Amino acid sequence: MKVEYRLFLWLGVFFVVMSGIYGFWNGWTELAGPVALLLSSFLAFMVAFYIWYTGRHIGLRPEDDADGEIHQFEGDYGFFSPHSWQPLFVGFTAALCFAGLAIGWWLFIIGASLGVFALIGWTFEYWHGEHSL
Amino acid sequence: MSWIVPARSGAGLALPGTDALRMDQGPRGPRFADIMAPVETTSATRGMPRGPVPSIPQHGPVTRPNLVAMGTIVWLSSELMFFAGLFAVYFTIRSVRAPLWHTETQKLSVGYAAVNTLMLVVSSVWCQLGVMKAERGQAARTGTLLQVGRWGMREWYVLTYLFGAFFVSGQVLEYSRLVQDNITMSGNVYGSVFFLATGFHALHVTGGLIAFLLIIGRTFTTRHYSHNQAMGAVVTSYYWHFVDVVWIALFATIYLLK
Repeated sequence: MKVEYRLFLWLGVFFVVMSGIYGFWNGWTELAGPVALLLSSFLAFMVAFYIWYTGRHIGLRPEDDADGEIHQFEGDYGFFSPHSWQPLFVGFTAALCFAGLAIGWWLFIIGASLGVFALIGWTFEYWHGEHSL
Repeated sequence: MSWIVPARSGAGLALPGTDALRMDQGPRGPRFADIMAPVETTSATRGMPRGPVPSIPQHGPVTRPNLVAMGTIVWLSSELMFFAGLFAVYFTIRSVRAPLWHTETQKLSVGYAAVNTLMLVVSSVWCQLGVMKAERGQAARTGTLLQVGRWGMREWYVLTYLFGAFFVSGQVLEYSRLVQDNITMSGNVYGSVFFLATGFHALHVTGGLIAFLLIIGRTFTTRHYSHNQAMGAVVTSYYWHFVDVVWIALFATIYLLK
C-alpha cells in the first residue's frame, strides 16, 4: 500500500507548509487558520500511518501487482447487514434526546431510557442466535 | 485434441439437460462426460435457488485491509476535524481576549487535571494489553483474578473502563469546582470555550465507556471468541487511543499553554 500511504504523507507535508505560509502572511494574528491547517496535516499523517502500518502487515495486494488480474480480488469483503430496522430506532431515540435538550430534561430522560434498548438491540442484532457472528 | 475447444465453448451456453442428451447420443460419450462434469456441476449450483447462508463469511482475502478497521480510521479522521474546529475556536478567541484568559486560567488546578490526564493515558495502556489478548483470541482469563498475566481481553477492558470512568468522574468534580469559581458556560467567553472543548471531549469519553460495555457484552454471545468480536474490540481501542491523544492535546492547550 505504498502509493496510498505516500499520497497521505505528502498531503500532510503540504498542510504543514501551508499552515506556516498562512500564519506568516497574516503575521500570526489570525490563529484559526494555522491551527485548522496543522490539524488537517495530523489527519493526513494519521491516515498515512495507519495505511503504512496495515500495508506492512498484510503484504502486497492484487492491485499492487502490475500484472494482477481482477478475479484475484474477489472473495468476501466482510459482513454487511442485509436489512435492519434497528438504526431507525436508534435515530428516533437520539432525536428524542436532542429534542429533550431544547424542550425539557423530562423528554431527554425518556429518550435516553428508550435509547438503551435501541442501542443494545442495534449492536447485538447479529450477535445472538444460531448464526451469531 | 482439437475437439476439446469447441466442446468447452459450447458447454457454457448449453443447458444441463441438452448436455446430458448429447452425451448419450454422441460417439465420444464417456470422454465428453469427463470434460463436462465440472462445468455441469457449476451450472447446476448457479441455477439453484439460494437459501439462507448457513454461516456468515468472516473476512475477505488475507491481503485485503479489514474494512471495519479502515472505516473506523476514516470516521476518526472526521472526528479529528471536529476537534480541529474546537481548537481553532479556542485559539481565535484567546488571541482577541488575552486579558480575560490571564485572569480566568489562574482558577484552573493544573495538578488535579494532570492526575486525571494520567489516569486516561494509563487506561489506554490497559486497553492495548486487552487488544493483544483479543488478537490472540483470548476473551476470558485462564487463571484467577489475581493472576494478571493470565487475564483475557474482558478483564483488561473492565480495567480500562474503570480508569476511564475515574477520568469522567474527576472531570465532573472539576466542573463543579469551576462553577463555584464563577466559570460557567454562559458566564463569559472563556467559560463557553472551556466547557465546549472539554465537555465535547468528556462526551466522547462517555461514548467510549458505553462502547466498552457493549464490546464486553458481545464476548458473552458465543462460546468461542469470534473474529468479528475481536475486530470490534480492536476498533474500539482505536477510538479510545484517539480520544486519549485528543485529551493530551487539549490538556497541553488549556492547562499548560493557557
